[in-house]
Amino acid sequence: MRFLIFFLWLALCAFSVAHAEEEYARVQITDPYIELRSGAGRGFPIFYVAERGEWIEILLRKTDWFKVRLANRKEGWVNRAQLETTLTEAGVQTAFRDSLLTDYLNRRLEVGFAWGRFEKDPVLAARVGYALTPHLFAEFSISEVTAVFSNSSLHQLNLMMVPFSDQRISPFFTLGVGRYKNSPQVTLVNAPEVSSKNANAGLGVRVYLTRNFLIRGDLREYMVPITDNRVDKFKEWTVGLGVFF
Amino acid sequence: MINRLLLGFACGICVCVPLLASAAETADKNPPAQEQVIQPELDRRDVKLPHIDVDDIEVGFYVGTLSIENFNSQSVKGLRLAYHVTEDFFIEGATAKSIISDEFFRSRAFPITGFDKQEEDLTYHNISLGYNVLPGEIFLGRRWAMASAFYVIGGVGTTKFAKQSHSTFNFGGGYRILLNDWWAVHLDMRDYVFNSDLLGQNKRTNNFEATFGMTVFF
Repeated sequence: MRFLIFFLWLALCAFSVAHAEEEYARVQITDPYIELRSGAGRGFPIFYVAERGEWIEILLRKTDWFKVRLANRKEGWVNRAQLETTLTEAGVQTAFRDSLLTDYLNRRLEVGFAWGRFEKDPVLAARVGYALTPHLFAEFSISEVTAVFSNSSLHQLNLMMVPFSDQRISPFFTLGVGRYKNSPQVTLVNAPEVSSKNANAGLGVRVYLTRNFLIRGDLREYMVPITDNRVDKFKEWTVGLGVFF
Repeated sequence: MINRLLLGFACGICVCVPLLASAAETADKNPPAQEQVIQPELDRRDVKLPHIDVDDIEVGFYVGTLSIENFNSQSVKGLRLAYHVTEDFFIEGATAKSIISDEFFRSRAFPITGFDKQEEDLTYHNISLGYNVLPGEIFLGRRWAMASAFYVIGGVGTTKFAKQSHSTFNFGGGYRILLNDWWAVHLDMRDYVFNSDLLGQNKRTNNFEATFGMTVFF
């Protein structure tokens, strides 16, 4: 029931947003012609063509497709490539270009997830990073390790140093602190739960793929003080996918 | 000092006045072709680039049936959030809730470890990568055409029930129909694979799920 209410509320929001912005962006076509498709995809049929010089309204964007409305009220989907050099009403060129390497280098926010092994057990991590400077990132991550005998969760706050941040392939070093929690599976009897601070150090590499995608590999070692004179060490490797904004 | 300044000023005037006069004369003789008699009062044009609504994020709920190997089939309800990176690929995060019951074992006086009561909550969350493998359009009569896509999807996540967590792989496929530009319905079939030792032996289980969902794009 709560889901339904949430969804209805969301639908209402989307509806009100869609109808609040009745004033759409108007641009002038500068390509020899643009092709209007019936849907937002390369396979949808072209049903109309508009010429250079015509004014069009841009109603909506989905990935690389723009829904446009012509002066004769025809509506269709146009690929970004054909609108790349259109002019706005003020005679300025629009900026419908693709995300480029320069956008990657100037990114501020990075969101991603990763999968790998924590010692021999599978680990799943979700992380959010923010570029403090081009060479320094702050990152928060939550990892979950599900093993045969126990489950662990790690909450980490990491600082990431990126020496060659202007490269497509750039290595980095991380240092961080966090909390390590280990709870045994119920099928195990008399095993205690462990909750402790931890510190970690690691290195990795980031590779910019395309658009706003990147892949990333991490190697990390966690140090977890269990008691005053016992420190457990865990090694972890992960591979992950990230999206930047 | 003041005398010198005055002298300089006077000299300056002496030099400038004839120059200005001659300039005025030439201006009178040859009036510029495009002299602006009236200054137009133009409003400053707004060069702000217009905002375009980008609908790459999809959020919604789903309901259906989840069948847990060795246990039973129960209703499942979940939330999904997806980001469409290209027209082909999307990343989806989902979290859902169901119930798992050990009624079968309990009725044979063999309750499963970890089950405090007969019915325990089951939750899972996962992150998956989807690919729209068969995009297309469906037609309802003569008037309605709706964009649709069959997608394949797979990912990793965690399933929790009876105080145990299981690292889970999921894979499957689904069908998405866009009712309009911002509203879609989903039919989704998924297999969740995890290892479980609840029945005494650690073995791989396949858990199938079929759901119906609704999402909005924004």
